[in-house]
Amino acid sequence: MLLLRRMQTTIGLLLVLVGPTTFAVEEGDKVPAFDFASIYADKPNINLEGLEGKTLFIDFWASWCAPCVLSLPLYNEMYHKYKDQGLEVIAINVDNPIEDGLDFLLDTPLDFLIPRDPEGDAAELFGVIGMPSSYLISPDGNVELVHMGFRSGDMEILEEEVKKVLASN
Amino acid sequence: MPTARSLITIMLAVTLLSACSQVRPWERGYLAKKEMAWDTDALESALNDHIFFSKEAASGGDNAAGGGCGCN
Repeated sequence: MLLLRRMQTTIGLLLVLVGPTTFAVEEGDKVPAFDFASIYADKPNINLEGLEGKTLFIDFWASWCAPCVLSLPLYNEMYHKYKDQGLEVIAINVDNPIEDGLDFLLDTPLDFLIPRDPEGDAAELFGVIGMPSSYLISPDGNVELVHMGFRSGDMEILEEEVKKVLASN
Repeated sequence: MPTARSLITIMLAVTLLSACSQVRPWERGYLAKKEMAWDTDALESALNDHIFFSKEAASGGDNAAGGGCGCN
């Protein structure tokens, strides 16, 4: 009987270990502290402390992800429209190798911050569940919006949310 | 002791399950490559669909939308 009970405990523990143990950043959470290397070798690291007081729009993208490629030029427009009001866009590139991301950026220059994440450490930190995923963070570090995918009409929704957060701070 | 033996079998099976790993959304770059598609030639695929439709009076149901980015 004791053996049986021990076996049950072991199996239970194994099942827990086998199952995926992922944590996903959700609306209402605090943004996790980060320090990302830029995709450009000559640019400094991008970290949360250095962006204090800014409204952050964090996006995960890759050159092989069709909706990401559509969304990025629109995010660039949004960045220029609202950067003077305190908006910072951080588009984390998950291409592996990063040269794929850099090739894309040669054809599509983007003016906001672009960290590199070839090993998926940042994506793991945020618990990304689909590509693209974006997170709107208020200046006090609250996650105001988590948005997955990019379809027609999404830009209007995202811009409205950005405007709301900028207006409330 | 049959119960203990079956439990050992289950335990071993569960241990082997750890070999299965999930491809994370950000790791799907290889899956999104053109050469990873079932039909790499769109024209040939459309022609085959047309022949299938002519012969069977039915079409579709052979693939789904999405390039492996996990966003659909």
